[in-house]
Amino acid sequence: MNIVACIKETPSTTAEKSFGPDMRLERRKEDAIPNPFDEYTIEEALRQQEKHAGSTVTILCMGPATATDTLRKALAMGGDRAVLVSDSALAGSDAIGTARVLAAALQKIGFDLALFGSAAADAYGGVVPSATAEFLGLPLLSYASKLDLSGDSTARIQRAAEIGYNEAEAPLPALVSVVKSINEPRYPSMKGIMASKKKPLDTFSLADLGLDPSSVGGAAARERAISSEKVSTQRKGEMYQGNEGAADRVVAFLIEQKVL
Amino acid sequence: MQFTQEHEMFRQLVRRFVQDEINPHADEWEEAGIFPAHDLFKRMGDLGLLGLTYPEAYGGQGLDFSYTVVFCEELGRADCSGVPMGITVHTDMCTPALAHFGSDDLKQQFLAPSIRGDYVGCIGVTEPDAGSDVAAIRTRAVSDGDDWIINGRKLYITNGTQADWVCLLARTSDEGGYRGMSLIIVPTKTPGFSVSRKLRKLGNHSSDTAELMLDDVRVPKANTIGPEGMGFILQMQQFQRERLVGAITSYAGMEKTVRDTIAYTQQRSTFGQPLIDNQVIHFRLCELLTEIEALKSLCYRAADQYIAGDDVTRLASMAKLKAGRLAREVADTCLQYYGGMGYMEETRISRAFRDSRLLSIGGGADEVMLGIIAKYEGILPGKKKARPATTQPAPAIEPAIEPAIEPATEPATAPVAASPRTDDAHEARAGAPA
Ligand SMILES: Cc1cc2nc3c(=O)[nH]c(=O)nc-3n(C[C@H](O)[C@H](O)[C@H](O)COP(=O)(O)OP(=O)(O)OC[C@H]3O[C@@H](n4cnc5c(N)ncnc54)[C@H](O)[C@@H]3O)c2cc1C
Repeated sequence: MNIVACIKETPSTTAEKSFGPDMRLERRKEDAIPNPFDEYTIEEALRQQEKHAGSTVTILCMGPATATDTLRKALAMGGDRAVLVSDSALAGSDAIGTARVLAAALQKIGFDLALFGSAAADAYGGVVPSATAEFLGLPLLSYASKLDLSGDSTARIQRAAEIGYNEAEAPLPALVSVVKSINEPRYPSMKGIMASKKKPLDTFSLADLGLDPSSVGGAAARERAISSEKVSTQRKGEMYQGNEGAADRVVAFLIEQKVL
Repeated sequence: MQFTQEHEMFRQLVRRFVQDEINPHADEWEEAGIFPAHDLFKRMGDLGLLGLTYPEAYGGQGLDFSYTVVFCEELGRADCSGVPMGITVHTDMCTPALAHFGSDDLKQQFLAPSIRGDYVGCIGVTEPDAGSDVAAIRTRAVSDGDDWIINGRKLYITNGTQADWVCLLARTSDEGGYRGMSLIIVPTKTPGFSVSRKLRKLGNHSSDTAELMLDDVRVPKANTIGPEGMGFILQMQQFQRERLVGAITSYAGMEKTVRDTIAYTQQRSTFGQPLIDNQVIHFRLCELLTEIEALKSLCYRAADQYIAGDDVTRLASMAKLKAGRLAREVADTCLQYYGGMGYMEETRISRAFRDSRLLSIGGGADEVMLGIIAKYEGILPGKKKARPATTQPAPAIEPAIEPAIEPATEPATAPVAASPRTDDAHEARAGAPA
């Protein structure tokens, strides 16, 4: 079985963020890491590989040429090879552009199961998996909190909802997006780190994928960021003094917050 | 010291391990006076963290010492010093001689499971009447057929209450002085072996420290590391790595302490301005950062020398000396700027202050380091033979003798065939910085 884990390069969550004049996040090579949600994507790919002998795991990323470092970090967790889709014409792609590229890359690689995170920590659009499925004309099992492959033919997931979970299945090849509760990502091991350098890492250009540069990138993007604002982390506290029925008010507050 | 992308990935791994697997438990383990070494080491073993420079044949990674540098730097950033000490005793203080000079069988029995994290090791040199003066040890191993029968006591032994084996320095002949000692691996489950006390300490609370008792402990002579009678020299060799590792582990922690203090003094105000705005404070903290950088550079030079297989005794002793003194200075100065808050148990600085005291004593006291340096400079009274100070290839066995011992004659270059850096042969192959 061919498993592909699609990952994005994002700035480290602790890195200082700044935005360019086009309101796009300025990305610094030093801060780049695999999207934290995608650690779960990679982990799930590796676990499925362990369960299905003879499977291969490819890690796929669309990103700047420097994203090879991020792919090496991903390969340190495991996997057999990585593919980077990188082309100067890709700068400024929106989610649909990205999906178009991933779909073409997935087709070129060939796969039975393509795994995605449910969103990227930086942009949080959450559209790429479904748009990619649409381009490929294949089913997407979204927000999986559990994934089982029966034989080589069907994928079955659990999807956690507010009060329980659904089960859904789809024939392979299929796309699956995973949520954090699906697994506990492993640390890259020392062996994995040293081996990552030796694993094959291919770079595809748009021409390799047979894509027209005008169909992707900033020019084709129909979604445009118009402003970016930092979340204010200032916490506002409320003080209840002792003799004013403080305990009752704390209880009322906790009930209001659905803690009690 | 040149770090590659692999070093960087490795650094992230260790940093994350410290954040996720050590720091959340630091308070609890400090309180308990021990950390669960078997548990923690198993997880480290699974990640390949316990045998960085040791041969792959025994489960090690076959890397060069530059990875140990990264490892120690990141361990040093932990929220306590006790756990990093317990770990590095296992990885770099009780195992080097075994890895370099142990027989294949001995390494299969003790090194491989220690690298896997199944065994916890400790190093037994110090005794009630022999610390700085290592040659004064009295623990004695008497020959009985193919076995040693060992009697004696070992004091202040890190990991001692939970170790599976001790790398024990014992007298194996009556020659006296530095002669006639051997390093012997003693499994702690051997009848006659016991932990007589778990010691209470000023600092490094999360690390357990023990007094060990050996009462007619019988172990095979095959457990001797290298040739019989070479124990003292092998231990002096092993000390170089211990001291280097001790120094490296300290400076990252010192830097963290200063940076924490900067953050604290930025938000704490007196007389209408943040504490940090007082020149006396920001100058002092910058002075300390400068000293820390200088120590780091010294450690890097020493590490480069070690990787090259050169004699590192002089620089390792200097690094250890400087680290011990600077650790105290940093902790004391920073605690001062925290004021009353720094005296409170709840701050990391109070723990750092307690922990900082050890480095000038353990692994050879400051004065012992000074004696070694004086000897290398040729100014130790009664020992005028200066030895070349810098990058001479190390002899097959480094005959660095603690100055306090004053042997009648220098030991002859050891009759051991193997190079003291068998793992460094691996290092040369696997790890020349790309
Ligand atoms: C927390 C902790 C953990 C330890 N872990 C281990 C371990 O795992 N294994 C192990 O074998 N040992 C261990 N030790 C022991 C440590 O190595 C010794 O404490 C150290 O070598 C000093 O020996 P001593 O305590 O006997 O001091 P002494 O030898 O009695 O020396 C006392 C002091 O005298 C001064 N002094 C000594 N000699 C001279 C001299 N020639 N000139 C001038 N001044 C001198 C020094 O200031 C020294 O600190 C540990 C110690 C501690 C505190």
